[in-house]
Amino acid sequence: MTDDQYRRDYAHHLIERVRTGQMTRRQLLVRASVFGFSLSAAGSMLAACGGDSTSTTPSASASGAPAPVMGGTLSVVIPPSLTDLDPVTIYDQGGIVLISQFCEYLIDLDNTNGLKPKLAVSWSANTDASVWTFKLRQGVKFTDGSPFEAADVVASIDRLVDPKSGSAALAALAGILSPGGTKAVDPATVEFTLDKPFADFPFLVCASSYNTVMLPRTYKGDWVNNPVGTGPWMLKEYKAKQKCTAVKNPTYWGKDASGNQLPYLDQVNWVLVQDESAANLQLQSGAIDLQQQTVFQGSQALFADPNLRVDIYPGSGIREVAFNVTKDPWKKKEVRQAVAYCLDRPAINKALYDGRSNLGFDTFWEPTVFPGNPTPPPRAQDYDMAKKLLADAGYADGLEFTLTFSKYLENPQYAQLIQAQCKPAGITVKLDQLSYEAYYAGDNDVTPWLNAAMTITEWGSRPTPGVYAQAMLLPTSTWSASHWDNKDFNTTFDQYMSTPDEAARTPLATKLSQIQQDDTPILLAFYITQLRTQKKNVFGVQGPGNFYCDLSMAFKTV
Amino acid sequence: MLRLIGRRLLLMIPTLILVSILVFALAEVLPGDVGRSILGPYATQEQVEILNKELGADKPLYERYVSWAVGFVTGDWGVSPLLNIPVRPTVMKALGNSLLLAGFALVIIVPVSIVLGVFAGLRKDSFLDRGITVSSLSMTVIPEFVSGVILLYIFAVWLKWLPVTAIPPDGSPFVDRFYYLILPAIPLMFLELGYIARMARVGTVQVLAMPYIRTAVLKGLPRHRVVFGHVLRNAMVPTVTVIGSQVGWLIGGLVVIETLFVYPGIGKVMVDAAQTHDVVMLEASVLVVAVIYMVANLIADIVVALLNPRIRMGG
Repeated sequence: MTDDQYRRDYAHHLIERVRTGQMTRRQLLVRASVFGFSLSAAGSMLAACGGDSTSTTPSASASGAPAPVMGGTLSVVIPPSLTDLDPVTIYDQGGIVLISQFCEYLIDLDNTNGLKPKLAVSWSANTDASVWTFKLRQGVKFTDGSPFEAADVVASIDRLVDPKSGSAALAALAGILSPGGTKAVDPATVEFTLDKPFADFPFLVCASSYNTVMLPRTYKGDWVNNPVGTGPWMLKEYKAKQKCTAVKNPTYWGKDASGNQLPYLDQVNWVLVQDESAANLQLQSGAIDLQQQTVFQGSQALFADPNLRVDIYPGSGIREVAFNVTKDPWKKKEVRQAVAYCLDRPAINKALYDGRSNLGFDTFWEPTVFPGNPTPPPRAQDYDMAKKLLADAGYADGLEFTLTFSKYLENPQYAQLIQAQCKPAGITVKLDQLSYEAYYAGDNDVTPWLNAAMTITEWGSRPTPGVYAQAMLLPTSTWSASHWDNKDFNTTFDQYMSTPDEAARTPLATKLSQIQQDDTPILLAFYITQLRTQKKNVFGVQGPGNFYCDLSMAFKTV
Repeated sequence: MLRLIGRRLLLMIPTLILVSILVFALAEVLPGDVGRSILGPYATQEQVEILNKELGADKPLYERYVSWAVGFVTGDWGVSPLLNIPVRPTVMKALGNSLLLAGFALVIIVPVSIVLGVFAGLRKDSFLDRGITVSSLSMTVIPEFVSGVILLYIFAVWLKWLPVTAIPPDGSPFVDRFYYLILPAIPLMFLELGYIARMARVGTVQVLAMPYIRTAVLKGLPRHRVVFGHVLRNAMVPTVTVIGSQVGWLIGGLVVIETLFVYPGIGKVMVDAAQTHDVVMLEASVLVVAVIYMVANLIADIVVALLNPRIRMGG
């Protein structure tokens, strides 16, 4: 596909998303500018959208999309879950995709990673964001017939922060919310008292914090044999690593903007396919309607298939290249900066994602991904600067280091690009490729991904810079592969997280971004846009293109 | 003959014990542990340790082995800690699927490759011989993943003559399963055809050079009686041995085909279990495949003995 064709397709995609209410007109302007469309071109796109659609949760018939078709079955291909389907412990795509169809979050994510009320209808914080009050939706019932109330929220969250539960959410909530911090004020109100102020707290209990689905207070585990939730679907059959079938929940609380009962479809069949090539062939053969998440590498044929539509979503997934600052040569920030200046980020984006991802400049406060944040100075490839920095650090004669990564997704190709781009600066990169299991194996103090000198680690989308930083950039972070401990950053981050007011946060965000980029504990060369592939007669699939996906408004035309 | 069979069956017991010990020991040196596999890379170390303790994964190796072995021989194959499903029905169902695919493939592969190999041997150095040898060898060297993808693209995506998966929808009649197995069986044919056909050819050429064949021809036996009565019977000895050794692989080693065609066979069960430290699932599936290997080889030896009286008589 040529650049012009791609730009035309992308423009059409943006227009369709505004027409179907998946994107606001303002967001279209932002996305258009990110992709280099002129103002007049963006204006034409807005004109093509017609009307003044600003809703993020419309019915599918609200605009140019076809009217919803009731009934029918949708076939979806996803990878299998490696483990049992347990909402508390799932951590991989296969498990998350399935559980989030049957169970729901307090807060949903819209297609642009914005927050949207779900089981909570509103939320607010005290002045320093240390106490949060959530109002719950009334009239919601679990599929076992019990009503959804504040006591269920308390039980669900307390279960997640209990180390014995084995929940992956524990590490994300560690230091922010402890057992006993969640209280039921009344059946419709929940209060979270945090261990410390955290202005991004709603993002920790939304659909991007995958384990935070609401379960009844009586939940005892063994979910597959006792499936329960408040979601639009009910489990009919699950065969581990083979398939999953769901039928509509007849008592689901959700309705579209026109008052139609959700979900539209009668049934969803998930086919669990591990191999990406096999999944793509199933799509191309017509046996499958939807691939929830498409990995770009190896899926190029899907873009040219006339029967399929590949939608692009503004994801924030990263490949974290971490310098372990406790080990040489990464103790010196000049060396870290030198490697950063070796990278040709547009070329990497082109090679790995055909230019579809957003460029990153070694900071999480990236406005193209998280709108409203300060624009960081771009870091273009500059070998003279790299050599000067190396000389300043005492490596004028060159440098050799080992880069450790897993043979997973596009990590090997990325490592090879880093190796090739560092060479002209006199930097020799030795590649240490491990299996996925070996890369994550062992205790936290020995596992390669947290202890090797330099690593590449894949991270799925996170909704805010703060959530990312909390996870990996603080001395208290559970998953800090860089072991970075910058006092100025830590103090500023605490201030930032105790400042809910956006205007007051901006200068703090600017400072955090500057510190992170200047000190360069990790390289962030790109933020990965998400791809979702479907037949051209499939509409209404909601969600930000990552693991989470809402099929309650999905339908198929004839 | 009965003593041969009895002796071989008895030998299977110490072999299986040795295999089970080896699998347990090798699973121990794989990177990671079962707790980490269940909870994932983002769980804290404290959570992993709590779970390992709950599962008994922190106990000494011999203790875990004895506990598993006692359960296994008494029919309790356990529950997969990863998938929370009982091991025995899972393994036996996967074995049934693999047997069906392997059986279907063998029914096509064996007669076709023997006929081609014998034809090539009977017409040694002819155009037909060279054509069969070169084409069957060419097919053998194509990796099954490559031939599988190409076949899928041509017959399932482009022409839409055959289904893209190997399992029919629920409720389909049993006979439909064979229609769905056509595509996965073809790459296996490619792989095995050259191997078995070459053995049949070599056997045929060697037997044709024997004095008793010359005698049979000189005494005026019709050609078909020479071929079917003398050549085939003796030429099949090495071919049957090779087929026996391939049966085990066709049942337990089809991971690539099972992955590509989304087929729930035992090869995939074994690999998944090894990657996730699911030792109970791994042990059961490996032992079942080991039994299949040994039984297939035993059957091959019996067939060889029936074909060759000298072996039968212990000569």
